[in-house]
Amino acid sequence: MAWKTIDRNEPAFDADAPNVLSDAVREKIRSFFPRYETKQAALLPALHVVQETLGHVSFKAMTEVAEVLEIHPSQVFDTLSFYTHFWTHPKGKKTITVCRSITCELLGGREVLDAIKKHLGVGEHETTADGEYSLVTEECLAGCDHSPCMLINEKLHKRVQPADIPKLLADTDNDKLDMPRSTLFDAPADVASDGASVTS
Amino acid sequence: MAKITIDEKVIECRDGVPVLQAAIEAGWDIPHYCYHPGLSVTASCRLCLMEMQLPHPKTGEMGWVPKLFPSCQTPVRDGMIVRFDSEVVRDNQKSCMEYFLIDHPLDCPVCDQAGECYLQDYSQKFGNSKSRMVEQKLVGPKKDIGPKTYLYSDRCVMCTRCVRFTEEISGTHELCSVNRGARREIDVFPGMPLDNPIQGNVVDVCPVGSLLDKDFFFKQRVWFLSGTPSVCPGCSTGCAIRVDQNENTVFRLKPRSNPGVNDWWMCDEGRFGFKYIHDEKRLTAPTVRRGADTEEVRWDDVPEIVSFRFEQHVAKHGDDSVAVVLSPMMSCEEAWLLVKFIRGIAPAATAVTGFVPTVGEAQHFPVGCDAENVKFTILPEKCPNRRGVELIAERAGGETCGFDEFVKRATSGAFSAAWIVGGYPEAWVPKEMTKVVKQLETLVVQDIFANTLTAAASLVLPACAWVERDGSFMNHAGKVQPFERAIRVRDGAKRDGQYLFEISGHVGLYSGDHVREMMADEMKEFANIGDAPPKPVHQH
Repeated sequence: MAWKTIDRNEPAFDADAPNVLSDAVREKIRSFFPRYETKQAALLPALHVVQETLGHVSFKAMTEVAEVLEIHPSQVFDTLSFYTHFWTHPKGKKTITVCRSITCELLGGREVLDAIKKHLGVGEHETTADGEYSLVTEECLAGCDHSPCMLINEKLHKRVQPADIPKLLADTDNDKLDMPRSTLFDAPADVASDGASVTS
Repeated sequence: MAKITIDEKVIECRDGVPVLQAAIEAGWDIPHYCYHPGLSVTASCRLCLMEMQLPHPKTGEMGWVPKLFPSCQTPVRDGMIVRFDSEVVRDNQKSCMEYFLIDHPLDCPVCDQAGECYLQDYSQKFGNSKSRMVEQKLVGPKKDIGPKTYLYSDRCVMCTRCVRFTEEISGTHELCSVNRGARREIDVFPGMPLDNPIQGNVVDVCPVGSLLDKDFFFKQRVWFLSGTPSVCPGCSTGCAIRVDQNENTVFRLKPRSNPGVNDWWMCDEGRFGFKYIHDEKRLTAPTVRRGADTEEVRWDDVPEIVSFRFEQHVAKHGDDSVAVVLSPMMSCEEAWLLVKFIRGIAPAATAVTGFVPTVGEAQHFPVGCDAENVKFTILPEKCPNRRGVELIAERAGGETCGFDEFVKRATSGAFSAAWIVGGYPEAWVPKEMTKVVKQLETLVVQDIFANTLTAAASLVLPACAWVERDGSFMNHAGKVQPFERAIRVRDGAKRDGQYLFEISGHVGLYSGDHVREMMADEMKEFANIGDAPPKPVHQH
């Protein structure tokens, strides 16, 4: 007899579910290997690649990443769950991240968040019914000089006012970046200085 | 040997060990959760912090550094000066203990660990009597993480010893720590439960009641248990264990640290393999065969019956027709007494090393490691004392042989009298033995459970489980390890050593130590092996 326990022996997905990582994604993960001494070290870039491709990293995807990196799925789960950046369940096309840290809070960040909740009809960590937007909050977006601020995907919106929300969310280009995105997680083709093939 | 100063006392310690280990070995009680001598160091619990003297960067003068150092992560250096007995260190311990108890449910009355819990011990010794926490506690979930373990994450202190165990010792990586900050908890990947042959150790390494053994769950409060140092009979590794019993019932086995043999670990096969000792079907009384019936006899008559039968047999058939099958489940002392007795009556008797149960191949841990990195091994030989019995048979002089050869020779009628010892927890009698027993006119069988041999025997002597006996086992590497008696024998039964002692003509109580002293005159392997197994250097 025990207290009510959560059964962790139950698999999170069907054993015969089809693979979610395509060969191209696997190849891209492998192309990071020459950068590091161990395959395990390529875990974070691999998770970024998967999240960018699939929108989230499901338990099925975690086991497949583990298979490519030759580690145990629990090690992938361990690392992934540390970062709030990674989603384990499907999210909307765009993710709205509202700052809830002190500067934004003082300058009306909470009103912005309430306005978004009201406009979209969802709460925190929820996704709209049409799958367009997911809403989360984050501790600080490093934009205190433009408070209150929020992110739509990777685009930072500065000095947002609650009244701007309907217009901002209706704009289809509201996640378009002003400058090129960092290529850190795109494996460059010439990383292997010793001339070895990057895909080896 | 490095000389270091702890709290103004100079101690000598092994080179390269952490200060924490040196202090514990020298008798200090330093609180710690994450440090375990068998695992890597993470220095995450911050309980063992100490003050240290270092040279001033400008003047070179030695002085106390105004910060604390983790003693588990600082290796000893000759001439090092540290202290635990200071206001700052005690303040830190107090603050840490308060922090550990912030989300703790304080459910000691229903917790299996209560009584051997380091949260309780350290709270009392280093913590506060009251909690200042007034906010809602974060309650972690209770999880079923595998066939043998529960994880109550609300009691967890996040020392990650269990995670490091599955990474570094078992090499199976089932456990991980998920999430971050106050919501961090130990978990498994869903559908990949904690299930490996040495998983029971995660419960032992857990300093609190977070990881719980399903087998021991709600069975007994630990303060009712008393522990006896013993040796595991599950395989020829001979792990040092502690038998925890209450009112003559064994509730659990725990490993004791024994460097070079099992370090700090034991396998599940040994840990949960003791259930047979409380089996109702065990034999308890000596019986003799009279025609088709069997009849119980008094223990007092057994020496006479045995001597009479064998003497009569030798007189009729000659002394080379006698064989004694020494079971590798016997202790060295019992085997020695028995072989001496048989050779006393029949000097040309054959001493046989009994049936050696073998299952599969040796399992090395961490899984898939190189030969030089093996941390723990489960051997295929599922008996504790093959080497000891072989050695005793060999040193007794005269003819010896293995079990297979005995079966072959006995089938062809080479022997007409035998004393066969069993004592295996599982059914063991090979099929060929039915032909063997037909050839045997006189057959004494000493076994735990009834089987085809006991059915055919002229005299059946009940054997005892190792927890009811005392003596020593010689492991696969030739190390003689004594074990003590943990529980009384069942009503009506008698310890194997005791009746063998009496049959051999000795008077009084059998004691393993005493017999070992007698043996030591002939076999130096058994001299000075110590009264009790080595004391653990690290309790938790």
